[in-house]
Amino acid sequence: MIGIVVVSHSAALAAAAVDLAAQMVPTGGPVVAVAAGTTDGGLGTDATEVAAALEQAASPDGVLVLMDLGSAVLSAELALELSPPEDHEVRLSGAPLVEGLVAAVVRAAGGADLATVAAEAEGALEPKRVALAPADPPADPPEPASSADGPGRDGVVRVTLRNPQGLHARPAALLATAVGDLDAEVRISHGGRDADAGSSLELMALGAGQGAELELSASGPDAATALRVVGDLVADGFGE
Amino acid sequence: MADTLTLEGAIAWLGAFRDAVHEHGDHLTELDSAIGDADHGSNLVRGTDAVMAALDPPPDTVAALGKKTGMTLVTSVGGASGPLYGTFFLRAGAAAGDVTELDAAALGTVLRAGVDGIRSRGKAELGDKTMYDALGPAVDTYDAAVAAGDDIATAARAAAAAAAEGRDATEPMEARKGRASYLGERSVGHVDPGSASATMLLEALARTLAP
Repeated sequence: MIGIVVVSHSAALAAAAVDLAAQMVPTGGPVVAVAAGTTDGGLGTDATEVAAALEQAASPDGVLVLMDLGSAVLSAELALELSPPEDHEVRLSGAPLVEGLVAAVVRAAGGADLATVAAEAEGALEPKRVALAPADPPADPPEPASSADGPGRDGVVRVTLRNPQGLHARPAALLATAVGDLDAEVRISHGGRDADAGSSLELMALGAGQGAELELSASGPDAATALRVVGDLVADGFGE
Repeated sequence: MADTLTLEGAIAWLGAFRDAVHEHGDHLTELDSAIGDADHGSNLVRGTDAVMAALDPPPDTVAALGKKTGMTLVTSVGGASGPLYGTFFLRAGAAAGDVTELDAAALGTVLRAGVDGIRSRGKAELGDKTMYDALGPAVDTYDAAVAAGDDIATAARAAAAAAAEGRDATEPMEARKGRASYLGERSVGHVDPGSASATMLLEALARTLAP
């Protein structure tokens, strides 16, 4: 699993963002190391603290660094110069700190590689954009219907969302991490939109509320298991 | 007339910079409150105090002095000026090497390395309304003065004057880097605080080298 580093001017902001993200992965997520604030408790960043956090989060699978404003980026770049990682990749993410961290933690908890987690974080504003976009027409053109029935698919399963909030952040994260643990590609479509079930962001962007009907399809060695796991989570109302 | 910057001279330069930052810290913070986060003066006061404390006992080469100064600024300043000035002194020290004094040409090489470090760290160009608008013209002017045969003190004085001119030229600019860039057009009409402190750094150098 990749490691994650949070660089912020504010220790309080970083701690709260990490709490928010950790809530999405109650069964355990990646190491999230923090470098935030000045040593005297003020607002600021310190490249040597970032270097220490990079070491704490070091993983052979790589490390993703999420940052807030201005000098957080400068300090992270300087930290990489002061103590370059020896045998793993470190990526500095342009993602927004809070949304990006939540998305990255969930995706990383599902075992995704660094490039996938980095892309997930970069796209982290999408659910908010979709939620605020005019309802009709949809913000994105729907995927062709055939994509759900393509070769190699092990059938399509229809389920109805029972929990009151629908596919909001926590259920989406539960679903994405459950799917992430399996060797299967699972797609979920609703209302003309199609999502990778391993991406909590794409799931949230479906805008599926209570009573919504979802079409599940899966391919890969664990496809049948994946469909059962997702079906069970939905039928259970995600424990809500 | 001194024709080199000695190790003791370099430490005196940093002391003079600390004194200038103390004297004008409120002014720097006032500039920063107009277009930034109102901490540039207090950050540099804290940073330069930490530097002077870290230089006792004094390092024994210019390289060690640059490294000590740079790392201390990185860990004590907090704002963007920490990694920026930190990079200046780290690169400057590395360019100086294990020597105990710099002649006019060597000081030019060292200043250039430091300023190039700031520019690449901040990805700044001339006209972005940053400290580079003071530092870029200053090192160009310094090099031109040395090439024309000026001694080290005269070249440093010319560099400080060029920095001040660069600082004043930031006033009508619209910021394209740093916190001020969030303000867009509202950053126009204010001198960039980083260019003001960078000018103090070069004026401190000129005063230290003055015969």
